[in-house]
Amino acid sequence: MIDTLLLLSLNGLIWGLIIALIALGLSVIFGMLDIINIAHGDFFMVGTVLAWFSLQMTGNYWLGFLLVPLICFLLGAVIQRLVIQPIRGNPALSIVATFGLSLILQEVVRMTFGATPRRILPPIQGTISLFGIQYDVYRIYAAGFSIAALAAFFLFLNYTKLGTWMRAVRHDRETATAMGVPARLVYVLTFAVGFALAGFGGVVAAPITTVDFRGGVDLLPVCFIAVIVGGLGNLPGTAAAAILLSLLEGIVQSFANPTLARITSLLLMSAVLLLRPQGLFKGFAK
Amino acid sequence: MNRRSLVERGLIAVFAAFLLTVPWTIPLILNAFWVSVIAEILIWSLFAASANLLFGYVGLLSFGQALFFGFGMYGVGIGIDHFGLSFWPAFGLGIAAAMAMAFVSGILAVRLTWHYFAIITVVFSLIFYFIAVSAKSVTGGDDGINFALPPTFSFGAVQFGFADANFQYFFILASVSLCFFLMHLVVGSPLGKAFLAVRENDVRASLIGLNVYVIRLIAFVMAGFLAGVAGALFAFFGRYASASYMFYTFSGEAVVWAIVGGAGTLFGPIVGASLFIVIREVVSTHWEHHSLIVGVMAILVVILAPKGIVGLWRDWVDTPPPTGAELPVTTELRTEP
Repeated sequence: MIDTLLLLSLNGLIWGLIIALIALGLSVIFGMLDIINIAHGDFFMVGTVLAWFSLQMTGNYWLGFLLVPLICFLLGAVIQRLVIQPIRGNPALSIVATFGLSLILQEVVRMTFGATPRRILPPIQGTISLFGIQYDVYRIYAAGFSIAALAAFFLFLNYTKLGTWMRAVRHDRETATAMGVPARLVYVLTFAVGFALAGFGGVVAAPITTVDFRGGVDLLPVCFIAVIVGGLGNLPGTAAAAILLSLLEGIVQSFANPTLARITSLLLMSAVLLLRPQGLFKGFAK
Repeated sequence: MNRRSLVERGLIAVFAAFLLTVPWTIPLILNAFWVSVIAEILIWSLFAASANLLFGYVGLLSFGQALFFGFGMYGVGIGIDHFGLSFWPAFGLGIAAAMAMAFVSGILAVRLTWHYFAIITVVFSLIFYFIAVSAKSVTGGDDGINFALPPTFSFGAVQFGFADANFQYFFILASVSLCFFLMHLVVGSPLGKAFLAVRENDVRASLIGLNVYVIRLIAFVMAGFLAGVAGALFAFFGRYASASYMFYTFSGEAVVWAIVGGAGTLFGPIVGASLFIVIREVVSTHWEHHSLIVGVMAILVVILAPKGIVGLWRDWVDTPPPTGAELPVTTELRTEP
């Protein structure tokens, strides 16, 4: 009993770290561009598929950790110019545009990768003993990569010129433009970073889940919930909410079936939304 | 009466004449299969209208209308399959279930607005989606339940029911038309004006004495009614109810159809739903990857016609903007502080 609890909580925690990455990408796009990105789950899915292709071509999974976010970043930049720029700043239209984008991404993956879900073997096999249970080594690595990426993102946002630009444009576009910040470029960059974060989540998660063209559909609501429960525009809050929610779901899963765990966490979410609509962490962060 | 409303009245008359003759004209031009496609489009239009009533007229973006569609569908399915109800009680049960659910969830949901409202409606619909998926003995889960449809009217030995394709078509047409007519009446009534006032500025609406909460709740229950009727009709139409129609992606499609057609207009949802379903039906027979076309279409429409197709049409017909209830929703949305 304790073993299952520990195992499932660990699984939940690590999955939560991955979700945190993806949700952070969503939060950046949502918070800075006012784009309700229905395609964000598919950005993650594209990440897992690109990880599969990169493994097939290079034979080395680790290269994917470098290649996939890079490709996603470029894809994001192109998509921003073609689809998002023309409707920028209009949330209602962004729903339709990104819905279309989601269909296109799923269909292109179905055409190239195929409709059959596939599994990727973790690049590191084997288990280690952890608090008395046997645990997959790769999952520990996955946690490490996620934490590193989260840290790198916050460092980027707070300590680099581009990160400062992103925050400046979010805070006050007019003033930022007047101060010489290239706002249009920052929008492209923001969207590309959002896609890259989701794509990186995809590479990290691909050996843990299955690679499937529908793989992003279940993930999307979870990410949105993390963004809202964490507090709109509160990036550390988003990450914390993602980790907490997933951990909670893992814990409940050791007592009940996965569906019941899902329902429990959704009920909790409704309570948070109704009682603290400004987000769980208002007053803590920032 | 200005030029546009004359032209539009003419178009509506032509459209109505077309719909009334579909069972005879369509098999001549295309084939009988398209009659059922048009019946399906009517049902989806009603579903899109339910999202449109909330978003286009009251300014609430709901991503959970599939929940009420599902309740309408399961009300009929479970009513017939488990309780052995006949046609009308099952229809009533479906609609009542959808409205009751809309009322209960609305009490909580309409306290929130904009992003928060969108998310809580997704969360509510996901909760019941997962319940429906796991309660296989009642709902059949993702596989759904199939049932035999009882006759709609029976006078002694003479029975009318959905087994007759023409009866099925006209029953759906009559129900959907009635719902759209009711919506037309509501939009033109003082309540409809109150909806628009809340959409434009809820603070000002409350300052002129409107109870914003109650108005939003009324709209939410009405939208639940529309989605419930659509769900019940769909259950009759397919003799089938399945949890997969309660998933959030399905609610999203209703929103997309409404915005592409023209949010805040009566005919927008019909135009949007027709466009997407006709493309799907035409392309899918020739090409497996028809979703690609649908995706590109959705993006092109929002870039080229940000007010939707009906909005584009109106800008084209009359340069001075119309006033009143049929004003398409401005694309700029308020973001609550």
